[in-house]
Amino acid sequence: MERKKRVFCLLMVLPAILLTLILGLIPMFTSLGWSFLEYDLLRIQEHGTPFVGLENYRTILSDDRFLRSIANTFLMTGLVVAIALVLGLVLAHVMRAEYRGRVIVRVLICTPWFVPPVVAAAIWAWLLNADRSPINSALMDAGLIESNIRFLTDSSTWGPFSIPLLSVTAVRIWNGLPFVVIFLLAGMQSIPRDLYEAVDVDGGNLWSKFRHVTLPLLKPILGVLAMLLLITGIGHFEINYIMTGGGPNGLTDVMSVYSYLQAFSFFRFDLASAAGGMVLLITGVISVIYIRSQLRNEDKS
Amino acid sequence: MTMDTLDHPSQNSGSRGARRGGFARSKNADRLTRALVIIVTVVALIYILLPVYWMIKSSFQTNIDIRAQPPHWIPRQLTFQAYQDMTLVIPIWRYILNSIYVAGAAAVLSTLVGCSAAYVLARFRFPGMTICLVMILATQLIPPITRAFPIYSAIQSAGLLNSYTGIIIAYASFSLPFCVMLLRGYFMNNCPPDLEEAALVDGCSYFSAFWRIILPISLPGLAAVTIFTFLNAWNDFLWASLLLNQGEMKTVQVGIGDFSGEGGNVRYISMFMAACVTATIPALIMFLFVQRWLVSGLTAGSVK
Repeated sequence: MERKKRVFCLLMVLPAILLTLILGLIPMFTSLGWSFLEYDLLRIQEHGTPFVGLENYRTILSDDRFLRSIANTFLMTGLVVAIALVLGLVLAHVMRAEYRGRVIVRVLICTPWFVPPVVAAAIWAWLLNADRSPINSALMDAGLIESNIRFLTDSSTWGPFSIPLLSVTAVRIWNGLPFVVIFLLAGMQSIPRDLYEAVDVDGGNLWSKFRHVTLPLLKPILGVLAMLLLITGIGHFEINYIMTGGGPNGLTDVMSVYSYLQAFSFFRFDLASAAGGMVLLITGVISVIYIRSQLRNEDKS
Repeated sequence: MTMDTLDHPSQNSGSRGARRGGFARSKNADRLTRALVIIVTVVALIYILLPVYWMIKSSFQTNIDIRAQPPHWIPRQLTFQAYQDMTLVIPIWRYILNSIYVAGAAAVLSTLVGCSAAYVLARFRFPGMTICLVMILATQLIPPITRAFPIYSAIQSAGLLNSYTGIIIAYASFSLPFCVMLLRGYFMNNCPPDLEEAALVDGCSYFSAFWRIILPISLPGLAAVTIFTFLNAWNDFLWASLLLNQGEMKTVQVGIGDFSGEGGNVRYISMFMAACVTATIPALIMFLFVQRWLVSGLTAGSVK
């Protein structure tokens, strides 16, 4: 019986493990391997793929464009996580509250979830197009600006910030917001109602309910969510690539886009893999922390 | 804060206004909080809905009206022309069918493989279990870009570039960790173990207990997970642009890019908007199926 059970278990997980290995772990290690080779598709005929050690990492780390893309990756991801969490907390409360018409509000808040990112990026790019932007025209009518804001093409900078960087970040927040709201809402479902009633008895107000009940009890979920957003944010590709392709002047370049362009515009799979390796290094550190906290939660329940 | 709290140990959960005991004060503070929340919500809703509204509105306008200066916030006349014309420029229905096929097959494959793994990982203890679980879940955390190039080469050398098979298997594997995570939570919370224990005592094999008893009662969960993975694949652009980017076989996300030739997509902008609406509708329908399940599903699966 015991042997039968073991065979059954192994057979059941086997397909999942195979898929995970073939399209998950093996490609990841292959990519890491390539980052130590010379793998230039244009020269592969005569050169082959000799081992070059850390040469590729040295090359990209002395490329200003890559250094800028690391800074942009962190900056954008940081902004996305912070703003999405704060805004998400407010909207999750709005979704939870009882009032007339809340079903409609719920669905409306979730809208970005079912708009494909490609479509979202393309529509936003149109909305932010300097000459025809309805946003510019509305701001102009309200007397807030005098000339059109070039949302995606203005190349002036304030330190690491620039208008295109903030514009693309806003679209990424837009794209990720429903997930954050639903995730937080799910977490809030498990907070017992009587805790809020206790605050009522003490004469506390809405803010103290949030500050002393919701926030402390949501802390573990906020942690998990922040980790998830960090990991997906650092590897984020689509919206950056479609909206600006890294431009203008690399102001919105992130590591994934840099890596993609190295591979498919310059055919340098080695440099692309090294850039991917850097992404992996950063997300790897965060992932280890994340998995450990997940396993700890598992033990508790 | 600590000093204050010490003075009022019985009310350490109150804020400044509340602690002074004034009922009216607390009410005022609440009014302010509510007003702030409402303002934030209204601004957020404008931010959330503006692009969606603009997309739908533009899809019913002519090219000239869309590009009018200043822009028309409310269309002056509506036309379905773009919806008719877009099929002449790109084979959008074909692209949509491609997407449905690819995303559907990947979702079914991923759910099947995922539910078998999730079931034993939820129910049994066996050697190597932890490592299997960690391996599957950790894969979710590998950023796509760090495995894109080897997968691209591998699929190319297997002769599966620009074939449906290649991308279906790829999508199935990318959604797998998510499936396993959600379904494992679902099996642990929603399926009492006594059910199949009774069947096992009756001489049922492990597999038929799973296939005949567990799966049928888990259909709601399985359906929701299938739809989630369908949406994942439907929305994808990166992999589709790498693995399936030629001719009529494209998925709709890559296909709508056909409009943007030289000089952006300005020339066909109304058709482009119509195509964007069309590409969103199937996702919307799927979303409506799962939205009830969203909150409870996430609690059962990932948060726990």
